[in-house]
Amino acid sequence: MTTANEPVNFFEQCADEIAIGSDVYNQALGFYHAEARMLDNLRYMDWVETLTQDIKYNVPLRQTRLVKDNEASIIYSMRHMHEDYRSLMGRALRLSGNSAWAEDPASRTKRFVSNVQVFETATPGEYAALSYLLITRNRFDDDHFDLIPCERRDILRLQDGVLKLAQRDIILDQVLLGTPNLAIFL
Amino acid sequence: MSANTERKLADGSTISDLIDLERREVQLRTLADREIYEIEQDKIFGKTWLLLGHESEIPDDGNFIQRFMGDDSVIVARHKGEVFVSLNVCPHRGMKITTQDAGSTSIHKCIYHGWAFRSNGEFLGSPVADQCMHGKIRGKDELGLQQARVTLYGGLIFATWNIDGPSFEDFLGDAKWYYDMLFCRSDGGMVVAGPPQRFVVRANWKAAGEQSAADGFHTLMLHRWLGEVGNYKKDDGESGDLTPEMFGAEVSSPHGHALRCIDLNRKIRRLTGKDPEELSVEEKLRVLPPPGMTADAFTQLKKNLSPEQLEAMAWMPPQVGGMFPNVLFGFVYIPQADGSVVGSMTLHAYVPKGPDKLEFINWIFVEKDTPPELREKMVMQTIQLFGTSGMVEQDDSDTWPHMTLTAKGPQGRHSTMKYQAIYETGKPEGWPGPGIVNEGFTKDDTQWHWWKYWHALMTAE
Repeated sequence: MTTANEPVNFFEQCADEIAIGSDVYNQALGFYHAEARMLDNLRYMDWVETLTQDIKYNVPLRQTRLVKDNEASIIYSMRHMHEDYRSLMGRALRLSGNSAWAEDPASRTKRFVSNVQVFETATPGEYAALSYLLITRNRFDDDHFDLIPCERRDILRLQDGVLKLAQRDIILDQVLLGTPNLAIFL
Repeated sequence: MSANTERKLADGSTISDLIDLERREVQLRTLADREIYEIEQDKIFGKTWLLLGHESEIPDDGNFIQRFMGDDSVIVARHKGEVFVSLNVCPHRGMKITTQDAGSTSIHKCIYHGWAFRSNGEFLGSPVADQCMHGKIRGKDELGLQQARVTLYGGLIFATWNIDGPSFEDFLGDAKWYYDMLFCRSDGGMVVAGPPQRFVVRANWKAAGEQSAADGFHTLMLHRWLGEVGNYKKDDGESGDLTPEMFGAEVSSPHGHALRCIDLNRKIRRLTGKDPEELSVEEKLRVLPPPGMTADAFTQLKKNLSPEQLEAMAWMPPQVGGMFPNVLFGFVYIPQADGSVVGSMTLHAYVPKGPDKLEFINWIFVEKDTPPELREKMVMQTIQLFGTSGMVEQDDSDTWPHMTLTAKGPQGRHSTMKYQAIYETGKPEGWPGPGIVNEGFTKDDTQWHWWKYWHALMTAE
């Protein structure tokens, strides 16, 4: 088993933390609020516009391991999602089409973003952003919500004065995912 | 066993009352009933061979993974090169021996009172040896972890609690000839790309299990996006017709195994511009090698498979199907936007978690010798189409729960699932393989045979 294709350690890319309330921080927060609104309102093609063409988007697996092996609790050799721009566009097109039954009728979702921290990186105009995300997902008559709590490890890049998503790693809290699929974007 | 001596369910009906052998119908109640579920735990999951993983998940001595056989957690571990499957229950007071998904240790020590076991399940001892905590009533050889019977096939790990039951080969029967083409075709063998994806679907395991017995029809409707905006869309942007993908040969088995062998001729014609009839088996296999293999792997195929298997591989290879009771395989040839073909190799187990819940386990494979570039393409494509987020299978996992809900209605539970599209063709002319084989457009026979074996096991003594 290999861990080929493992992304560069996110935390190594985090340089100085950007102050809460500064312009860049506010812009990042605004990005997340707008993104949540788009995705919660099924505006998939608008969401794709917020991605860079070279985006890397990953949802690694989790495993229950001993504390001494904690690093092995995040698995990159296999992932729940392993995406690039083309595949994310493909998913958005499918969801915007006529036969994406997994999300038609659509889930009712809310993406709650919190604990946002933004860091400079070695590349000017690129920021590393950490945040928590709680998605509540409800389908049909379910009297329960599927809860998807996770951490987002993002790289946001300024393009023409606008922040775009250049990399996202989603670290789930569940090993055995409690929602029947990831037909929604995290 | 005749129906009148069969065990009665609480409402007085028998298992045989739920399945109409004449008209090929199964009552929906089978997809929600707790009583039936509990009988299955004994008669199905206590009796058949079950897929637990692949030996490439535990390459070294001491490596272990935690898996499930029915409702029982088991430790799958390598010990002195061999694979052992031990019940994950401490013989002392019933604590789980391991709570981890995977790891490596030569000694499994229960965290409750400290009883210790080797990777092969042997009882090593209890703490404070001179106080003999485990007593003198039972000898050490009686205090090991309960062992399942294990077999390895193409590196896949199967186990059963049916210690004196049929061999794995007998269990596979004629279907083995076809599975060999998938799992035993290369020199290096297949390997997992990583640990399996795991997620929960609120549906009875049989909603997924019966579909895995080569349900072709559902592809046309449930997965029609493939033709509309997916990999089977036409080059001119028009919606693609998925019906040509439904032609081939379907293999079923008295043991509920099923394989859809899909005709490759159209793909070969598109890749070569030639009539496939004019090409040799070798030429075809070099143009369109099996998933994970490249043209030069033909020498391996030739070495590991019979000429008859090669012929089927170049013509109508098994691409989707299942292994009774709860395994699906997808070894598919997926068309790409640039006209090429990239394969996917995936196996699922649908582990029962109560009458209205299943755990979907998805292993993605490559060949050990798959070149890195192809490997990456395959793994990405497979993640994007199958499993947790797979654009194909996300529609399945949203459908099965509705069946389990409808099966709970006082009227719905007596509705029937119907398997009445029956083959009248027989084997394709010149078909080289064994088993119950029918040619043409997909039908229901494979799934019906799945239910017949379910019935046979559920009503067996």
